[in-house]
Amino acid sequence: MRLQLNPQTLKKLRRFREIKRGYYSFVILMVIVLVSLLGELLINNRALVVSYEGELFFPTYTDFHPGTEFGFQYSYETNYRDLQERFELEGGDNWVLLPLVPYSPNENHTVTGIFKADPPSLEQKHYLGTDTTSRDILARLFYGTRTALFFSLGFLVAVYAIGISVGSAMGYLGGWFDLLFQRVIEIWSNIPFLYMVIIIFSVIPATFSISTRIAILLAVMVLFSWTSMTYYMRTETYKQKARDYVSAARIIGASDARIIFHHVLPNTLATMVTFMPFTIVSAITAVTALDFLGFGLPPPTPSLGELLKQGTENLRTAPWIVTSAFGTLVVILTLVTFIGEAVRESFDPKKFTVYK
Amino acid sequence: MTDLNLESIHMTKFSGFKLMVLALGAALLSACGGESEPENAAVAPAAGPTGSEQARAYYAANPDFFSFKTPADVPTDLVWEDGADLPDIGSPEAKKGGIQYEAMQDYPRTLRHVGPDSNGGFRNWILDNVAVMLAHRHPDEFDYYPGLATSWAVSQATKTVYIKLDPDARWSDGELVTADDYFFLFFFNRSEHIVAPWYNNWYGTQYTNISKYDDYTISLTMPEAKPDMLTQALEHTPVPEHFYAEFGPDFVDRYQWSFVPTTGAYYIKDEDIVKGRSVTLTRVEDWWAKDKKFWRNRYNADQVYISVIRDTAKMFEAFKVGDLDMFGLSLAEYWYEKLPDTDPDVQNGYIHKSVFYNQRPRPNYGLWINTDRPLLNNLDVRLGINYATNWDLVIEKYFRGEYQRMNTAFDGFGEFSNSAVRARPFDIDKAQEHFAAAGFTQRGPDGILTNADGQRLSFTVTSGYESLAPVLTILKEEAAKAGLDFRIEVLDGTAAFKKVQEKQHEIQFTAFGVFLEMYPRFWESYHSDNAYDDAFLEDGSVNPARQIKVQTNNLESFADYEFDQLVDQYTVASDKDEMVQLAHQMIQMHHDHASFVPGFVQSFYRIGHWRWVKFPENFNHKHSDSAGELFVHWFDPAVKEETLAARRSGQAFEPQINVYDQYKEEL
Repeated sequence: MRLQLNPQTLKKLRRFREIKRGYYSFVILMVIVLVSLLGELLINNRALVVSYEGELFFPTYTDFHPGTEFGFQYSYETNYRDLQERFELEGGDNWVLLPLVPYSPNENHTVTGIFKADPPSLEQKHYLGTDTTSRDILARLFYGTRTALFFSLGFLVAVYAIGISVGSAMGYLGGWFDLLFQRVIEIWSNIPFLYMVIIIFSVIPATFSISTRIAILLAVMVLFSWTSMTYYMRTETYKQKARDYVSAARIIGASDARIIFHHVLPNTLATMVTFMPFTIVSAITAVTALDFLGFGLPPPTPSLGELLKQGTENLRTAPWIVTSAFGTLVVILTLVTFIGEAVRESFDPKKFTVYK
Repeated sequence: MTDLNLESIHMTKFSGFKLMVLALGAALLSACGGESEPENAAVAPAAGPTGSEQARAYYAANPDFFSFKTPADVPTDLVWEDGADLPDIGSPEAKKGGIQYEAMQDYPRTLRHVGPDSNGGFRNWILDNVAVMLAHRHPDEFDYYPGLATSWAVSQATKTVYIKLDPDARWSDGELVTADDYFFLFFFNRSEHIVAPWYNNWYGTQYTNISKYDDYTISLTMPEAKPDMLTQALEHTPVPEHFYAEFGPDFVDRYQWSFVPTTGAYYIKDEDIVKGRSVTLTRVEDWWAKDKKFWRNRYNADQVYISVIRDTAKMFEAFKVGDLDMFGLSLAEYWYEKLPDTDPDVQNGYIHKSVFYNQRPRPNYGLWINTDRPLLNNLDVRLGINYATNWDLVIEKYFRGEYQRMNTAFDGFGEFSNSAVRARPFDIDKAQEHFAAAGFTQRGPDGILTNADGQRLSFTVTSGYESLAPVLTILKEEAAKAGLDFRIEVLDGTAAFKKVQEKQHEIQFTAFGVFLEMYPRFWESYHSDNAYDDAFLEDGSVNPARQIKVQTNNLESFADYEFDQLVDQYTVASDKDEMVQLAHQMIQMHHDHASFVPGFVQSFYRIGHWRWVKFPENFNHKHSDSAGELFVHWFDPAVKEETLAARRSGQAFEPQINVYDQYKEEL
């Protein structure tokens, strides 16, 4: 099936490609997203492949393999780094292929015998060093960023779904519905968002799993963030509704649903798309801020905010923590912002207008 | 000032703050203060009888408890003690003056000494470390030295302690401290208006009589002649009768922000309570005890300015630039990494580092398991948790081997501690055996054990110690090896305290600050009275309708009929050997019950302090708990100026890294 795009849209996309900075930012970000999907293959303390007694194992995505399975004495998860070392010592046919960074984000791994922040070391494969309890920073950074990215995408979808529905309905239906929702939104948007998230999140029982907690955090944030989109959509819909083509469609006998989905919405695309990157930026910032304040995801879940916090607490003694976290945040947010600028520009109909 | 130190001894000083104090050292002493008229003004004046009138009526209604006698009624054959031979406290070189800059993490939630929220770390500043009691334990000798009392005498036969009060004693508002204030203490603490069941119970059951012979002579009678009767009799601060004129059912709200006049050296002015930001203590002008033998070299700063700095790292930075005078460096991270001996400020002698080994009962850091919770009510699960908790690794690698493993919740009480009981080591096989016995035999896909119903072996570990969160993450990783999952919940100190007081926790990582006393307390934390309402039926079987009791220190919901009998025996026992034997038996039972995973003990504290903070020659006293609590340090403003100027110009002094190990003991 071929995606049917109207020439207008194709033109916009072409223009987006022409804006190199935004376009390459987009490409890079997509690569990051794709790589992060396969993160377990790159950064993990589980081996990619283990060949043991002639049998091949692929532990990455499977259930855990107890140490006993590979001839260790213990029944908990195999330490594949030890396994590799053992196989090399034994010199047999057994071998282990470890990921690039052979550490999980939660394990304390120290060579000095003390859990403390150690600087980056190629030899130890702690490429960005370790944090204050000897956990690999690259691993924590990677998984923390992944959570933040997907969190923000989920946030975007949810906020848009609600914002667009309510906003369009307000603009299109008008009348008492519009008035009522305007008042509701005015009140709702005056509730300080961050405080509400903190309050609500503090009463969620810790018995919930991490993923449930992320979902709840997402829900709560969406609950207090959907309002911003509605006003733009309302204005836009109002504007489109008054256009002749809408009247024409109505005269032909098109239903409200058809008018909204086929005529009005496509014409508000510019507004929607323009705000997308900024919504993502605000979501990443908010979730990082929450973690930084200690109201986000429970320890030891890796997160950008938690790393930043550790970094600022050890600014002088372990500067590699804060530089990693801060650097990542800057890169991601800059990429998204560049994309946003490019999108806005390419969707701006007045290409050659000069504001005076 | 209503506080009874006894009580604080027992029940208060709970964790949050105290813990932080210990973990981070002296710099974190909490604070708070003051009276706040504006809030009070909003409360309408109370109608009805004044506090004094209510108290008189109460005395009249309880003539057996409150006796009014004459000086002739004091027995003549008593042996009076006054502790006068004990050595001075602090240094004669101490100078008065200067301002002490301190920080606290949370703003106090109330200035009351009793009632809801009054049990936080802020008590230290208005009560525990400041208020003068009848007599205090000498921080080197353990015997009592006089405070508000001048002398005391014990009558074993009548289970009574006679006390002569110091007629010089004044409240900080200038009123005299007299026998009436001790009577009022009992009226006050037995009143339901204060919403403090622990106090009601303690004052209702631990004393049988208070007698007034004249304005400056009283006696207290106890139901039992315990070996440490003096503690029970002397560790009181009276309650100022004149201050509670409007005492009534609205006590909690009415006095929420009122600074209670104190017998101690520091009081708080109205204008020095800046809500949410800071509290300033001011030395009482012409303090009544300023020339007394045990008090003259202490409380040297003119003012103590305590500001809120919510973040430990920021507190350290504030210390590093000289905004705070002292900072606790007990955590290895601070001692070795953040303020290493090579730090320019240390090398140039601007900041001194000191380690002080002390001797006293240790706070019981560990995992408190709420046995009222499903699965945790299973002994095998609890035993498994004990074996699956790798404190040894935490001590060795995170605390760098500087702490020791705690063996029981009652370590450090000399012969009362049961040294035969050892904490269970980290042992995956034994842990799994016990988990298997509880039905957890299969490891799930993530390696966590599950039972036949598919239930995961997973518990929430709550803590209010943000700075110790890494400890929990290490424990979590290790416990997973035994198939046990710890979900970690790190809350703000106050929220964690609230949670545990509501008994909403599954497992709590916390500690009670333990006061310097002769023998451990069992009733508060281990009697079923504090676990459930009507825990047992007449015949000793479990009451099926029992309800969990909140706002008590029985964090383990520990209820054992036999144990209750022992606690009761222990409470009434007057023979020391019998008490020792009972204590050992109870400690063993508590160990067998496995509802507590003993953590670590720290036999020293360390601080960094600026050069202008001076300490006595031997730094501090044997039984002290932190560098600041006895207020024996002093400030030299001239040295401060000199140091800051030297730091600007780069002039160096002799570096000072001092280890005071004269009281070091092998644990």
